[in-house]
Amino acid sequence: MPYRLPFSMLVAIALLTSLLATGCASVPAVPSVQMVPNRTPPPIGVRDTVYNPPRPAPALRLTDQDGKPFALTSLRGSPVFVYFGYTHCPDVCPTTLADLRAAISAAGIDAKVVFVTIDPARDTPAKVKQYLDFYAAGFIGLSGSDADIATAAKDWAVGYLAGPADSNGNYPMTHTTESYLVDGAGLLRNHIFFGAPTSLIVSILRTATGA
Amino acid sequence: MYRIPKARALGAAVAVIVIAASLAACSGSSGGIKVTGAWARNSAAVTGAGAAYLVIQNTGSEADALIGASTPAAKTAEMHETKVIESAAPSGSGGMGGAMGSTSPMMGMVPVSRIEIPAGGSVELKPGSYHLMLMSLVADLSAGDTIELTLQFEKAGKITVKAEVRAQ
Repeated sequence: MPYRLPFSMLVAIALLTSLLATGCASVPAVPSVQMVPNRTPPPIGVRDTVYNPPRPAPALRLTDQDGKPFALTSLRGSPVFVYFGYTHCPDVCPTTLADLRAAISAAGIDAKVVFVTIDPARDTPAKVKQYLDFYAAGFIGLSGSDADIATAAKDWAVGYLAGPADSNGNYPMTHTTESYLVDGAGLLRNHIFFGAPTSLIVSILRTATGA
Repeated sequence: MYRIPKARALGAAVAVIVIAASLAACSGSSGGIKVTGAWARNSAAVTGAGAAYLVIQNTGSEADALIGASTPAAKTAEMHETKVIESAAPSGSGGMGGAMGSTSPMMGMVPVSRIEIPAGGSVELKPGSYHLMLMSLVADLSAGDTIELTLQFEKAGKITVKAEVRAQ
């Protein structure tokens, strides 16, 4: 008898806790309270995405994920998104690749995606292959020597910088985060800022392909 | 004599189930802090890193702060912020950049030791902003998987939520 009350109370407390704690996905992600802005909008100027007039895309002669020589000219006839990133990038790079994939799917246009690493020290062609195979999206991944990557980045006006390594030897890369759209004739049509909505990427892709 | 132990056993069993259920929920709360909408991006373990996102709401009258995180899915989980790095000069500033009349900004990640959640406010951890960086993934995070995240708050203590892995 002396134990019944404490256990009833325990059950009641546990039930109450559960009611307070659960709610799962049914809870709206955006509450009615004021949101604290925490996303950095693209700076003015970066939203100017059109190359007018279109100009020949810089060369991209590197090594693909199968270890074979690659030239951008081999993709003539298809629109191509070019993006410079790195495989250890957890946030911006996979977000961009997912955005491009969603836009290509929504547009229903057979556009290619070429991922160029700016971290060749870690991103060997084999590593890039494992990375792209995981996403299974048919993307092309390029790596090369430090000098080759530096040349490609310079030609494409891409900046990158390795950050300090932590105690496990992991280091982040700071880099420009635009993607570039090259049309089927090899002309550079647009650069697209990070976080661009799918609808904008779709419209850019349709315009560039005359669809 | 036997009725009380049975009641105790039933009570204990219900309590265990209820507590386990509340610990495993994909939203969680403690005090005025409520965590909702947790998800992680699908990531290959070979790349070493993943990211998780969620919304933290503070309905209390006092500010709180997220000060740490952990997950069985990775060796460590750190709070990071993706932001424009003003001080970094693009190394490839020639080429098209000049012709465009603007130099593209560089974005990078910086570790943060605390994320303030103001009283009556909320903070969203989302792509291109604050996120939990999951370092040294134990296994691939594949779409449809569920991982557990434990968040440590300065005042509210620990809150554990489930995060669905999505390919988005």
